[in-house]
Amino acid sequence: MAAADAVPSTITLGEGIEAALVDLVVRGMSRGDPSPEVRALAESGLALLKGPLAMPTPRGTQLAGDVLRLPPGSDVERQVRSLYEAFLPVNHRLRDVCTGWQCHPDGRPNDHSDDAYDAGVRDELDDVHDAVSPILRRLATALPRCAGYLPRLEDALDRLDDGDHSWLASPVIDSYHTVWMHLHQELLLALGVSRSEDADLEQRLVVARAAG
Amino acid sequence: MDARALGTHGRQVDELISLGLPTVAGVTVPVAEVASLTEPDTAGAVVELLQQLSGRTAGHGERPMLIRLTASAPVAVAGLPPDLPVIGLTPRNSAAVLDAVGDGSVLHEVWAGMLRMIGEHALGVPSARLGDLLLDLADPREQVPALLTALAHEGTEPFPDDTARQLALAARTMLARWETPRAARARRAQKLPPDLPLALHVQALVLGPWQDSGYGTATSRDAETGRFRPTGSFFRGVRRSAPRPPHAEDLSALPGGPGLLEHALLTLEQHFAGPASVEFELRDGELALLSARVEASTSARVTTCLAVDLVRSGARDEPAAVEQVRPSDVVELMHAQLSLTGEERELVRGLPASPGAACGEVVFTSDVAVQRAAEGHRVVLVAAETTPADVPGLLAAAGVVTTNGGLASHAAVVARGAGVPAVCGASALRINRTGDTTTATAGEHVLREGDLVSLDGRTGAVYAGELAITAARPPEQLNIVLGWADTLRRLGVRANADTGRDARTAVELGAEGIGLCRTEHQFLGERLPLIRRVILATDPETEGRALAALARAQREDFRDLLLGIGSRPVTVRLLDAPMHEFLPAPDQAEDEAAAVRAAALREANPMLGVRGVRLALLHERLYPAQAEALFSAWLDVRDQGVTPELEVMIPLVSLPAELETAARQVRASADAVAERSGVDIPYRLGAMVETPRAAVMAGELSRTAEFLSFGTNDLTQLTYGFCRDDVERRILARYQATGLLSASPFVELDTAGVGGLIEIAVRQARAVRPGIKLGICGEHGGNPASIAFCDRLGLDYVSCSPAGVPVARLAAAHAVSAT
Repeated sequence: MAAADAVPSTITLGEGIEAALVDLVVRGMSRGDPSPEVRALAESGLALLKGPLAMPTPRGTQLAGDVLRLPPGSDVERQVRSLYEAFLPVNHRLRDVCTGWQCHPDGRPNDHSDDAYDAGVRDELDDVHDAVSPILRRLATALPRCAGYLPRLEDALDRLDDGDHSWLASPVIDSYHTVWMHLHQELLLALGVSRSEDADLEQRLVVARAAG
Repeated sequence: MDARALGTHGRQVDELISLGLPTVAGVTVPVAEVASLTEPDTAGAVVELLQQLSGRTAGHGERPMLIRLTASAPVAVAGLPPDLPVIGLTPRNSAAVLDAVGDGSVLHEVWAGMLRMIGEHALGVPSARLGDLLLDLADPREQVPALLTALAHEGTEPFPDDTARQLALAARTMLARWETPRAARARRAQKLPPDLPLALHVQALVLGPWQDSGYGTATSRDAETGRFRPTGSFFRGVRRSAPRPPHAEDLSALPGGPGLLEHALLTLEQHFAGPASVEFELRDGELALLSARVEASTSARVTTCLAVDLVRSGARDEPAAVEQVRPSDVVELMHAQLSLTGEERELVRGLPASPGAACGEVVFTSDVAVQRAAEGHRVVLVAAETTPADVPGLLAAAGVVTTNGGLASHAAVVARGAGVPAVCGASALRINRTGDTTTATAGEHVLREGDLVSLDGRTGAVYAGELAITAARPPEQLNIVLGWADTLRRLGVRANADTGRDARTAVELGAEGIGLCRTEHQFLGERLPLIRRVILATDPETEGRALAALARAQREDFRDLLLGIGSRPVTVRLLDAPMHEFLPAPDQAEDEAAAVRAAALREANPMLGVRGVRLALLHERLYPAQAEALFSAWLDVRDQGVTPELEVMIPLVSLPAELETAARQVRASADAVAERSGVDIPYRLGAMVETPRAAVMAGELSRTAEFLSFGTNDLTQLTYGFCRDDVERRILARYQATGLLSASPFVELDTAGVGGLIEIAVRQARAVRPGIKLGICGEHGGNPASIAFCDRLGLDYVSCSPAGVPVARLAAAHAVSAT
């Protein structure tokens, strides 16, 4: 039964399984008892189970990339690309907001004891949200599978405003930052942009904006 | 008029003027009048007044006067409407303004931002429509005409050219923006009334040649060093409050240099007796302050340095300086860090992305990090950059190093969120993947998976190997403040120290003696067999041999301890460990007989069993042997000119007779040493008060005891009937969450219950022996609230861990000023 150990070179995934793979790759991991779909991914060598964690294997990541990649040169790729380029400068601002939420400007950790400081950072998050909202509304039309991001961001905002500080930047829940990272990851996969290209481009766009 | 009428900004401007500092020409519209500014007539009158104040003319001249509208509330509040910064700008005069400024890009962006806000809040154009419009036209130069057209067609009225009418619309915008859900939420989050009013401030806009004009913020202190140094950001061009301008320069770029701000910041620091922070504008090298406030969020270094500087400049006295520094500042300044010897090899230096120190073995992937951490290893994740896929590894790691990415990179954000020390952007580190093998190289040093590295997330340094992590030493300025605290406090501060090294650290940190030396700590590790043989001995001869070996070992330890503390008081507690700590595990006994004897000695509840003085009464030669070792060690160090004040303490006493018996044993040893050496050893004998019975019998105990020391850890356990190990995990967290307890009684002394017993003991002890020395030596000795209680009771000293001594010195001084 040596053949059973080999991973087949092409895989046809059931729809549910494919969605689970894409979800896992976009999120980077999942916690808790693995779903039947995630177990199936693990059995096909596309995911790795480690205790309560499931993570995609490099092969799984590649396959998800193939699934999400928009046809190069297509209209939809052009549209999403332009939205992505509008997204990058806002992405930069969101990271600043998260940093401000976690640390005071002098580097001290933010213990959330200063209501005015927190309210100021929260207010800046509104500017970021106002800036990303039109982008996401258009993205939802161009790429319907991304329609869920704006509601998910708004859900994180609601929970944040209900008084739980972790909903802005905590990495272990679907906080604003976590959802944002998923969105970012999905855009990169859809456009076939690598992380380092992304960082270079963001830098260029932010500088270009600063220089006017 | 005060801030209730003028807003915080209006009041600040008054204050700045009264201090003789330069301000911007402007008019404040008080809270009660703001609605009238939405009327073009009133707005026209304000424009008129402003023209007189600034000497400029609104409209279409060569350098037309532009206006900025700013809001403030009666109290400091975040979430105010952003400034509307270029009122009076029109397509007709923009060319003249651009000529004056010399660079149009930012001006157009600011203009577009203002038009958008006015369109949305005063002219009724939907926000989504304006957002889409701006998304379609990336260039602000195209945005302005498009916005003006959209406002003309879709707004309730076109955007006017007339400055006064623009100002009236701007005022309406401010008031409407203050009523949005967003602003309401900001007020709620700050626990401010929903109808908190606004005052509006109309200011003549300072415009000048691009290169010599701008605006910025500055604080008086460098957060890193705490010293006076104007620190902040400078932006060229037109001032705006949102979105944050992207292109900040350091104050060193200020035309005229940062010295320009020094006079204002020094004046304000003296005035506030706190670190000052200003917003300023600059035109043709001329400074104007827009606002000034006490910098509320300050680092411990800033607080401490400023406290010292204010005393030196005569602005405050020493007690005020001591008061200004908080115990949390001391803790922050004493943060654990890598212990550097100068011998270590610095591999690379990156950005200090998440504070703290960490050591661990290198891993290159999140998978391996998770796996090795699950196996109980401390790992440092080294990666070029991180993605959401790496979050499990980031969370599992003791530390993180990335080669790319800045302070706001994914790795930095996640690491800070998880409290994991991190160094980011260590670009001199190269990660090489060949096939399945990954290595990292820093210069010639090659790191492989499993190699040990250490990192300091506060300096950004990464070192080869595993470095020790130690408590930091207080910086010079803190030592000065603590020196003043020492002159103010009534309580003595001692340290709990078991070894010469602890004692030396304690003295360095300002301890006046040792309040508790736990002699059983000398028997852990390789000395364990010595005490084990004493306990398991079946005949007097074996016991005698074992005791002699033990006494020799102890004499050495005591000598080291006494040399460490020098000619200061030392409270040595005779053996107080629960028996089970010394019994061998069934398969580790030296022989069968020892195993049987050990089994017979096992107890159901060792903390309440044969412990402390009880053990001494079963093994009558134990305390004499310990006491003799101590007295002999004292003679040894006396020969070197060191004369510690010995205090011999008997633990876990409940019956006065227990104390008397143990005291007789100790006295007999002192007599024996005196006879042998011809020297009378000076010492005091006392009891540790750890049981409720000892507390209520303190009067009786004081007939024998020359001092009492409250062991508040055990006293708390026994008063509550809490076993600390069990309740801390399972009960206290829940009690605190549900409000049954406001703090753990093991952290903050329960002043009502345990403290009540201590009060009884203090009263009774002093009634019997008025000059009796009283102290506490539980962990509470380092807790500020508990220290304040000890001060109220008039105890002689508190004793805490060596690292806690600086906090205790400060807290003891605060306790005095609180009464």
